[in-house]
Amino acid sequence: MSDASILKIEGLEAKVADEDLPILTGVDLEIGKGEIHAIMGPNGSGKSTLAKVLAGHPGYEVTSGSVLFQGSNLLELEADERSQAGIFLAFQYPVEIPGVSIANFLRTAVQAHQADGEELDIFEFSDILTERMELLEMDVTFAERHVNDGFSGGEKKRNEILQMAMLKPKLAVMDETDSGLDIDALKVVASGVNTLTEEDPEMSILLITHYQRLLDHIEPDRVHVMVDGRIVRSGGPEVAHQLEAEGYRGWSEADSIADGV
Amino acid sequence: MAKAVAGMEGVTSALNPAAVERIGMSEPEWLRERRAHAWDVYERTPMPTIRLEEWRYTNLKKKLDLNSLQLSDAEAMSDDASTWPERLRAAMDEDREASGHIVIIDGHVVHADVDKQLATQGVILESLQEAITNHEELVREHLATDAVPAEEGKFAALNAALWSDGIFLYVPKGVQLELPVRVTRWLSEAGTAYFSRVLIVAEAQSQVSYVDEVLSDDFESQTYTSTAVELIAREGARVQYVAVQRLGRGAFYQSMQRTLAQRDSKLDTLNVALGASVTRVDLNARLLGPGANSDMLGLYFGDDDQHFDFNTSQDHVAEHTSSDLLYKGALDGASRAAFRGIIRVLPGAQGTDAYQTNRNLLLSPESRADSLPNLEIEADDVKCSHGATVGQLDDEAKFYLMSRGLSLIQAERLVVLGFLGEVLAKLPLGGVVDKVTRVIEQKLAQHG
Repeated sequence: MSDASILKIEGLEAKVADEDLPILTGVDLEIGKGEIHAIMGPNGSGKSTLAKVLAGHPGYEVTSGSVLFQGSNLLELEADERSQAGIFLAFQYPVEIPGVSIANFLRTAVQAHQADGEELDIFEFSDILTERMELLEMDVTFAERHVNDGFSGGEKKRNEILQMAMLKPKLAVMDETDSGLDIDALKVVASGVNTLTEEDPEMSILLITHYQRLLDHIEPDRVHVMVDGRIVRSGGPEVAHQLEAEGYRGWSEADSIADGV
Repeated sequence: MAKAVAGMEGVTSALNPAAVERIGMSEPEWLRERRAHAWDVYERTPMPTIRLEEWRYTNLKKKLDLNSLQLSDAEAMSDDASTWPERLRAAMDEDREASGHIVIIDGHVVHADVDKQLATQGVILESLQEAITNHEELVREHLATDAVPAEEGKFAALNAALWSDGIFLYVPKGVQLELPVRVTRWLSEAGTAYFSRVLIVAEAQSQVSYVDEVLSDDFESQTYTSTAVELIAREGARVQYVAVQRLGRGAFYQSMQRTLAQRDSKLDTLNVALGASVTRVDLNARLLGPGANSDMLGLYFGDDDQHFDFNTSQDHVAEHTSSDLLYKGALDGASRAAFRGIIRVLPGAQGTDAYQTNRNLLLSPESRADSLPNLEIEADDVKCSHGATVGQLDDEAKFYLMSRGLSLIQAERLVVLGFLGEVLAKLPLGGVVDKVTRVIEQKLAQHG
């Protein structure tokens, strides 16, 4: 594995913890520092499961394979440790936390990311939060609202990007961040993500999506096609265009072309 | 008679008629009669069982052994604060700003002070025993008559017969207390039964808030504390009552509260229950005059095998009255909470607005909450609603928070404080919010 690699997945197999049915059936994927990768695939292909497994969701069990993050075994870390190590998952369905303000939530999260014993500078935090909210065209009063409680679909997704902007991960996994967004909201989200990658060219992104349209605004270096729990084709941005034109029909395992994997 | 009682020393500490006589020994005739009558009622009334709707969630056969309890015969501690238990002093240090203080140690009022300015305006804050001497007529009119009389039930009768001391707070017409009255109680004798009363009379257009906090260490054997709380708000008065229960394990905490709200008055209560092994609160809010309003808040957080039982009623007697009840609790470990609440709208109470909500958050699979909200409406022009929920801190929420770098303990802390914050946010008394928040954080940290 090269020094420039941030994530290396080999032969990853996983299932729902209390069930037998495998969902990931042997995923191989390597992402380099600063690269943007997209995974596309039909419903039920295992895309979201891969995202949750990477973030350490306790509902899934890895049965085989390995995941190295910055050269270390990711699978032995709990979800909070993975976050602190630099992995961020933008949820497809962000969870509502009634009674907890976004400001309070983010303060706690950012504090958890500080080095041991280091106190968060609360004024600096406030300044950064205000600036990040402006970037995402959010009103300042948003910080006092309760996390995702009564949010519209677009507000929830924007809130995910706000968290990403505050936590500054090394690898952001974005699980269908584009779904449920109108085109204006999509542009705001995409421009937010692009600003973050410009600020930190070493930040890597794994986009999980059904649709080409997000990739019109965040340009991927690599596009992978996932079917039946594994990556069946990889290539440049042209793969996404081809999928957009032809759909997923014909992408069964039998006629897959493991290009570049 | 004093002689006869003295001759019975040694047996007088049990809960019996001799104890009733001994306690009332130097009291006026009317009070001795009330005690004797109350004991009669107590003896005539059967012990409530779980077959009674109001006691279906607390099995007294298992939870309370009155026969094992003794009355305290300890001497009162001195008024010298340096001799008081450290935790009591620490609790007091956290809220110095007050219109007056009362300190009760093991059932004895050992300290009472009230702002001089307020005293000259006629505000009375003293031990109930002193008030019987100094303000006999006021006490006689209200004590265990309209609010929590002996006829109320087995435990109200027991309290009315055996109470040893308590608090009398009187606020004259138009007098407004800017700062709260603070009462701090400490219990230390295991195996003891403590009976006390609180009587607050707020005359027309007056304003007062009152915070009553009770603490103890853990007890080796069951220790019982019973308090009867009588709150009277006259026309246009504003009264706020806050009870904070932080007793140790082994304690059975029982509080019987009745609020009488006259025309245009506002009489609010908050019950915070964090400690004790068993908590039983009976709250009856009576809205007696048009325009009267009562907001009732409750907050509880249990762990281990703690048991909470709240039995509330909102009685709308007069027309155009309103009440709003919100009780919320989080339960960890194998703790259990029961809420049974009723809104009663009496005939003629047109234009009633009454709401009742109980919400529970279960933090562990062994914890349990039962909720039984109820309506009894005998008027036709009313707005009433009730609701109850039992939710769980689910795995998705935990994962969401942990995926942002929060440890499981931090995640639980955030969710619990967020959940209970709806109640805390409605509290205008800043000191109480901080104190309660700190205790909850300590409990969460212990169970992480």
